[in-house]
Amino acid sequence: MNVQPDLTFIKYLKGAGGDTLKKCYQCATCSVKCPLSSDEKPFPRKEMIWSSWGMKENLVADPDVFLCHQCGDCTTYCPRGAKPGDVLGAIRAYAYTLYGWPSGLAKLASSAKGLPVLIGIPAVVIFIFWLISGGMHIPDKEHFATHGYQQFFGVWEFKWYAKNIFFIVMFMVPSLGLAIFSLYMGLTRLWKQMSLNTGVNPAYRPSVTQFIGEFLWPSLVEIVKHTRFRECGTNSDRVTGHLPLMLAFIGLFIVTCWSLLKNDIIGLFLHSWHGPMVLWDPFKIMANVSAIALLFGVYVLWSNRAKSEGEGKTSRTFYDWFLLWEIAAVGITGLGSELLRWLGVPSLGYIVYFMHLVAVMMLFLYLPYTKLAHIAYRTTAMAFEKYRESAFMKPAVE
Amino acid sequence: MTDEQGTSGAILVVGGGISGLTAALEAAEVGNDVFLIDKNPYFGGRVAQLNQYFPKMCPPSCGLEINFKRIQNNRRIRTYTMATVSGINGGPGNYQVSLEIAPRYVNSNCTACGDCAAACPDEIDNAFNFGMNKSKAAYLPHEMSFPRRYVIAKAGLSSAGAEAVKASCKYNAVDLDMKTETVTLNVSSVVWATGWDPYDPAKIDNLKFNESKAIVTNMMIERMAAPSGPTGGKIVVPGTNKEPASIAFVQCAGSRDENHLEYCSYICCMATFKQMNYIREQYPEAKIYVFYIDLRTPGKYEKFRAKLMADKNASFIKGKVADMVIEADGSVTVVAEDAVSGVKVQQKVDLAVLATGMQPTNAGSKAPAGLKLDENGFVLSDYEKGMIGAGCAKKAADVVTTTQSSTAAALKAIQVSRR
Repeated sequence: MNVQPDLTFIKYLKGAGGDTLKKCYQCATCSVKCPLSSDEKPFPRKEMIWSSWGMKENLVADPDVFLCHQCGDCTTYCPRGAKPGDVLGAIRAYAYTLYGWPSGLAKLASSAKGLPVLIGIPAVVIFIFWLISGGMHIPDKEHFATHGYQQFFGVWEFKWYAKNIFFIVMFMVPSLGLAIFSLYMGLTRLWKQMSLNTGVNPAYRPSVTQFIGEFLWPSLVEIVKHTRFRECGTNSDRVTGHLPLMLAFIGLFIVTCWSLLKNDIIGLFLHSWHGPMVLWDPFKIMANVSAIALLFGVYVLWSNRAKSEGEGKTSRTFYDWFLLWEIAAVGITGLGSELLRWLGVPSLGYIVYFMHLVAVMMLFLYLPYTKLAHIAYRTTAMAFEKYRESAFMKPAVE
Repeated sequence: MTDEQGTSGAILVVGGGISGLTAALEAAEVGNDVFLIDKNPYFGGRVAQLNQYFPKMCPPSCGLEINFKRIQNNRRIRTYTMATVSGINGGPGNYQVSLEIAPRYVNSNCTACGDCAAACPDEIDNAFNFGMNKSKAAYLPHEMSFPRRYVIAKAGLSSAGAEAVKASCKYNAVDLDMKTETVTLNVSSVVWATGWDPYDPAKIDNLKFNESKAIVTNMMIERMAAPSGPTGGKIVVPGTNKEPASIAFVQCAGSRDENHLEYCSYICCMATFKQMNYIREQYPEAKIYVFYIDLRTPGKYEKFRAKLMADKNASFIKGKVADMVIEADGSVTVVAEDAVSGVKVQQKVDLAVLATGMQPTNAGSKAPAGLKLDENGFVLSDYEKGMIGAGCAKKAADVVTTTQSSTAAALKAIQVSRR
């Protein structure tokens, strides 16, 4: 085998939490201790030697890299302190940047140096929108009590499309749209490369229904149930944080959809439906429970990571912390603006709400390039794993 | 030796295994006074427990017997068994070493006739055989024990047993009132030949040593293969005494592992090849699987390795065993990833042998003042101070290397005594 080591790639991995990778002596303890590793294609031993040899092409198209939940069992039992779990995390971070489109933005989101710009973009965009919307004023207490943040970007006469919604849509939808487009591009490239490396016969392609029914849906069920996460030994307490966090995001998604429907569609006809929800509204309860679950989840994950880093079991990386910071920011500013509305402090409320919009936009805009991209990449890898093991991959009967 | 308490030029050798015996003899035979002590009731150390030792596959009697003879014939060597160092004072050229000598409960009248053992109704776990069988509470530690004198494990003796043992001895050698004694020696230097212990396999939790009788250590295989051992020389699955049809060797069990012993124990690869020989002699058709990270058979041992790797019924899998499944039928399944094919291997075997490594006996214990150890417990020799490591107390090694390092240690010790 002729290996041309990609030295820049090795250097990148070392800098992104995989500084220990060269300690690996290929004993394969990790592949056996990994509860998620399969019998036919065990990992992460092979990923460790590919990393050591700088075989980037193999790694970025390796579903096993994305299947890893960073349980830490491999790292705990590693006889050399090579921390395979951290190395795989670094490879994922690299892959998200590689597949991210546009690449400039992807690169920006990959290091702490980009942080001022990363925060700056949404902050400036939203501030400009606030200026041109003509909202531009802090309401009095009475107004604040009735309308909350629903007139943050002001009001206009045209009742069929509220001005506030118009402006929020103006920056949130393109952000999410860009993210979805970028993910689509990245995932297509990943899938193609994975198929190529696995030697899939392109003649046997599943239909969309087959793909969803046989590969995607079962993966989603596994994800929601946290089936794989629960098999982890060392970091099993991560389920305690990750599960509420995931449910919180689902809950907040439902509430946001309902709020849009209630205020800006039903509200057009039934005026009494327009306005902030009362505290005992089932959806409001759901929203608040979700917000608390989100903060609880992020607190658990935050302290687990801090503890693990303190004990030297994990490396400290921007990739891991950026997502924790983002989610914590969304939760704190979200709950903060709600509390300030109850307290009736419009000026501070508006500032915190502005920060909340910035945090949410960051989460959307940088989704494909940050650790949050695992939502899409791991799901895809799980679907691919099922595809790989399915009848589609078996040779045709002669 | 003129003065029992030592002369200014005397050397203390701590540990009477192959290393300590060598150092003591080398120093004494060029005219130095030597004290040789061992914490066991016998000399011979780990080598005495082996069935054979490589490269020539000699039985231990081969090397030990001649050394014992040389010690018996050398008036410059004074020996203490069941003795440990409890304190050191003074400096190089003039150390006062305190020894604590545990009671043997048998005095020098003993002729090793064996009447006490025959009369003794009480049994204890046989530590020499790693608890695989029992011995009487009045016992000779092993077949070729030197000094040839019985020992009584008083804690394992019932009051009826005590009476029986006392009554059985016609030489008046049993003395159950013996107390711990303290002796102070004047020596110029100390050779630490304190040797090694097999690494405790229970600490390697994923290898589940305590969960199945079918998981044994390489040292247990040595005892089983030895004609004087618990099974009379037959390698079987302990407990069921089943003849194994398949055997897996688990290399680096605890060695080269930061979580256990971070160093290579040097001998385990060769020990496995040697034990493959034992198995072949008894079971020509048995399947043997060796799971390894790297096979380390330095120097002339390469030939030995090549010969055994040609065995048709043996397979070598590059991958460390990291998990064991205890099967209901008494067998075990070892799990590893074959790093060459990249596929997981699950091999069900009748017997799994953990090739556990060497841990220096000083590891974890509080070393006597003046003795420097590295982070793994190996002795760091300080020649200026006359504190000299030898054999496996200094580094994991085979018998050949050990004897060489002991000869070197003897020379260093002599230099200190003649400064």
